[in-house]
Amino acid sequence: MLKVLDFFNYAKSKSPWIVHFCSGCCSLEMLAAMSPRYDWERYGYIMTPTPRQADIIFITGLISKKILPALIRTYAQMPEPSYVVAIGACAYDGGPYNDSVAVIKNVTEILPADVFVAGCPPRPEAILAGLEEVKEKIKKGEPSAASQGGLWKQMKF
Amino acid sequence: MEAIKNVLGKYENEYIEDYKPTWVKAKFKNPKDLLNIVKDLKEVGVETCSTVSPTDFIDENKIEVNYFLEDLINKKNVWLKFDLPRELEECKIDSITPLMPSADWHELEAYSTYGVKFEGHPNLRYFLISADYFGKFPFRKDFDWKKHEESLIQNIDDITSEWLDEYEENKKTLPKDGSETVLHWGPTHPASGPIRLVVGVDGENIKWVDPDIGYVWRALEHLVERKDFVGAITSVERICFMDNPNPMICYSEAVEEIAGKEITRFAKLMRVLLGEIGRCASHLISMGGFFGNAGLHTFVMWTMDIREYFLDVLEDYSGARIATASVEPGGVRYPMPDNWLETLEKAIKKYEDTVPDMLDIFINNPLMKTRAINTAKISREDVITNYMAGPIARASGVKLDVRIDEPYAGYDEIEMDYVTCENGDVYDRLYIFFKELNQSMDIMKQAIAKIKEGIEKGEMNPKKDHLVRMPRRMPAGEAVTRVEWARGEMLMHLVTGEKATSPYRLKLKAPSVNHTMVLDSLLRGKTLSDIPLIYGSMHICQGDLDR
Repeated sequence: MLKVLDFFNYAKSKSPWIVHFCSGCCSLEMLAAMSPRYDWERYGYIMTPTPRQADIIFITGLISKKILPALIRTYAQMPEPSYVVAIGACAYDGGPYNDSVAVIKNVTEILPADVFVAGCPPRPEAILAGLEEVKEKIKKGEPSAASQGGLWKQMKF
Repeated sequence: MEAIKNVLGKYENEYIEDYKPTWVKAKFKNPKDLLNIVKDLKEVGVETCSTVSPTDFIDENKIEVNYFLEDLINKKNVWLKFDLPRELEECKIDSITPLMPSADWHELEAYSTYGVKFEGHPNLRYFLISADYFGKFPFRKDFDWKKHEESLIQNIDDITSEWLDEYEENKKTLPKDGSETVLHWGPTHPASGPIRLVVGVDGENIKWVDPDIGYVWRALEHLVERKDFVGAITSVERICFMDNPNPMICYSEAVEEIAGKEITRFAKLMRVLLGEIGRCASHLISMGGFFGNAGLHTFVMWTMDIREYFLDVLEDYSGARIATASVEPGGVRYPMPDNWLETLEKAIKKYEDTVPDMLDIFINNPLMKTRAINTAKISREDVITNYMAGPIARASGVKLDVRIDEPYAGYDEIEMDYVTCENGDVYDRLYIFFKELNQSMDIMKQAIAKIKEGIEKGEMNPKKDHLVRMPRRMPAGEAVTRVEWARGEMLMHLVTGEKATSPYRLKLKAPSVNHTMVLDSLLRGKTLSDIPLIYGSMHICQGDLDR
């Protein structure tokens, strides 16, 4: 029985669907990762407009205060296991907007990410490498970090 | 020019002076005169408001409001200044929105961030800022944002409550029977990006549209005040990554003007090249995005492929693909790498090889034409009243291009003409981008030839001439600069204090604000399926919409 479930995880890991949610400049490099030169579809990634069919959500760089509830709401609609990939320096500590009055500096405290891709913005290759790490997580059947905790559960959204 | 000066001279003023060749700058004593001044200016042809920019002088206990008005046809600019008291109850001035509709959102923004009350504004409300800042006016110098940040969860709850209230409100006001409802297009819609269009619909027909912005509000204008003059370019370039170098050019020109420095001819031509590369990268996404919004993703892939070649050029130059930080006050940041011009020529060739296919398959696509031709027309009058800028204005046949009207960097050496279309419909707003790309290629070829010639003659040294030394501390002063950004005119108003190490105030004016403002009038009476098409044709970037 265990073997069968393992196979499901393996199969899932081969084609993760990513929800279309962009909140910052890094989404441009995400677009580049989709484009012919980097072409993430050869790794099985595909964008989906609805969170209800998605496995992965991106925190594409900066999260302003106003879009945070929308991000959490989108995340909450995803079926478990739902993984979070934080890309760009902003998703770590606000990055270049660390002094800004309008940007959330501790996004990953609010919505813990499974993988963080560094860079401002990260290159498409780096984004792909980050996604490959999520695949490993899916393969092992590990629960997502955001389902384990995070401030988002205390917030209204 | 004389007519404008005569009009301004009628009112009690501190000074009226010539600024750059096309500008008149005037400071008035009595804020009550504003409406009459604007009325009189309208009669001499100044019909458009570019932006409204308050500056908070906390030491002198005043807020100075700057109005930038433009005569788009005769290329004249007027800069009006008024002093207002800082106290919230007293800090008010008449709204010019009833006279110049283009000032609408700019006034709302000034009200939300500085608390300048515009009396007589048709719908004065908090705008752009998130709900936790309502009534706190975060850009004022005495606002304590560190204290504000302490209660983060409460702040987010405030923002969410605003939406829930809106939802409850809609529940009450919408009729129980019938097909009227309110839809939200965005911020998670694949074509929207982080903007929310609140669309009132009856069945499929759009009754009204109310754009809700501020989802990528980063308070850049506030952020630069805490950086030094060179560090500020990292904030300025992040206004939008699609066209990265042009905002930096605009900012650097402003700093150089205050410092009174002239940059080298080589740096000027490099700025032309970098600016045009940025424009190409942005136009390619815009064109692809238009088709992506309409539902055809092949073209996005094509244009993204070509764009990569232009990003290669930027990467060769600065080491970064899109966050280049390649232009700084004093010139351009790095010396020119070896064989860099060849990389650029390769990118130009890649584009030019694709042109015939692009024309056949996409630009002349009969299906797209059926949907786009004669849809959502913008007339010349609309361009002037609402101040559509750049490609959107040129698609309607208005000859408007800062590169020609007020040449900056090395554009005075370049031979170019206005590229325009006639109709101003959705199709023209796509086609103009294609035309402009071809023009950009031509400009780049001219600039490359000039640089090569200069190096050959020994007039330029690509390894040394890129940067002139800038003073560490700036004198007190202010400057207004404009550049032709990929999506329209970008205006920056920089204020510095005595012996300053960082900007005192930087107003960024970007074109997408006005382009979003007209969505309501463009979309009324259309159907839901037209939203992506028309929205895509305005080439709005949320980054510069919110700043």
